[in-house]
Amino acid sequence: MTQAIIQMQGVAKYFGGAIVLSSLDWEVRQGQVVGLLGRNGAGKTTLMECLLGLREADAGAVCLFGEDVSALSDAARARIGYVPQKSALFEWMTPLQMLDYFKAMYPRWNAVKVDALLERWGFDTLKLNKPVGRLSGGEQQRLSIIRALAHDPDLLVLDEPVSSLDPAGRRAFLTELVDGVIERGTTVVFSTHILTDLERVALDVAFLKEGRIGLQGPLDELLEGARNTTQGRRAEPVSLEDLFIQVTGGVSA
Amino acid sequence: MAIHPAQLFSIVTGSPDPIYRQLVDQVRRLTAGGQLAPGDELPSVREVASNLAINPMTVSKAYGLLEAEGLLARRRGLGMVVAERPRGTRSAAERAALLRPTLERAAREARELEMDHDTVLSLFTHILKEQP
Repeated sequence: MTQAIIQMQGVAKYFGGAIVLSSLDWEVRQGQVVGLLGRNGAGKTTLMECLLGLREADAGAVCLFGEDVSALSDAARARIGYVPQKSALFEWMTPLQMLDYFKAMYPRWNAVKVDALLERWGFDTLKLNKPVGRLSGGEQQRLSIIRALAHDPDLLVLDEPVSSLDPAGRRAFLTELVDGVIERGTTVVFSTHILTDLERVALDVAFLKEGRIGLQGPLDELLEGARNTTQGRRAEPVSLEDLFIQVTGGVSA
Repeated sequence: MAIHPAQLFSIVTGSPDPIYRQLVDQVRRLTAGGQLAPGDELPSVREVASNLAINPMTVSKAYGLLEAEGLLARRRGLGMVVAERPRGTRSAAERAALLRPTLERAAREARELEMDHDTVLSLFTHILKEQP
């Protein structure tokens, strides 16, 4: 049995009177690539922030690499990569300054990989010396991804990482995820509404609904299970999009 | 004995067929049709995964199932090759069974479009005659 990388038990989070997460239990094991799905406002970002310790949960326990997230060691922290939905990069710095700044914080910084990605993803000298705040949304997102991959993390958490990227940029990102991340056995949690991207890389999916993980399982089995009716007769085939709508209760049957 | 590149495979996303199943079906069709001959080398898991931007485990799963089925064999240092099998072991009925799911899907769409049988059949005949 592989090690549990993320363990959440009885986690609750409220914003004023609104319950966002409630008695949430979740476990992600080493090397899993999990797609986190849920409707808009289901709390995916809050869940990711709580699991990373960026937001304090109102109840429950969160452990990363077996350590309590509220007292995470520097060694454990250095094993995590995170791409936030809204890139909170240092807008006044240039990409080069920003990457140098982070390089000093991580013992395992992979400069060769950073240079290769910068070149492959179109960061020429001009862009590398421009303040981050003046780059386009897609460029900022690419930079945020490069920063998160730069120290070869063992746990990678991606919150809508491709929302600003065009199809070619999304494909380049997926290829890097396959070649440079999944190949290394990295544990990945990935939220996106672009289900066709998700199904390429996620072997497991987890649905966040009403504050908890309502359904989690291997994507292949969920797709194949959903097409068999209770009598064992073959129902109409179901795509991931159909499954999403069924599970998250988007359209009442 | 040919060595096939990663471009041998193509997938569609957003389909009810899981990606591993699409890969399995593709190999079954290509071996049944003879484009993949005994001894032919398949692209490595890594090459296929990278080319299609899909999880390598998905490719491994497909290759593993095909190996269990006896269609592929693992060769030391070569990776996956098409297994030796006596010629013509695939009966016409077996081949028809392989094609059936695709045709069922086409039939469903034809019904949805309210096309009559003759139009659909003549369209299919026409497509069969086209060069790929």
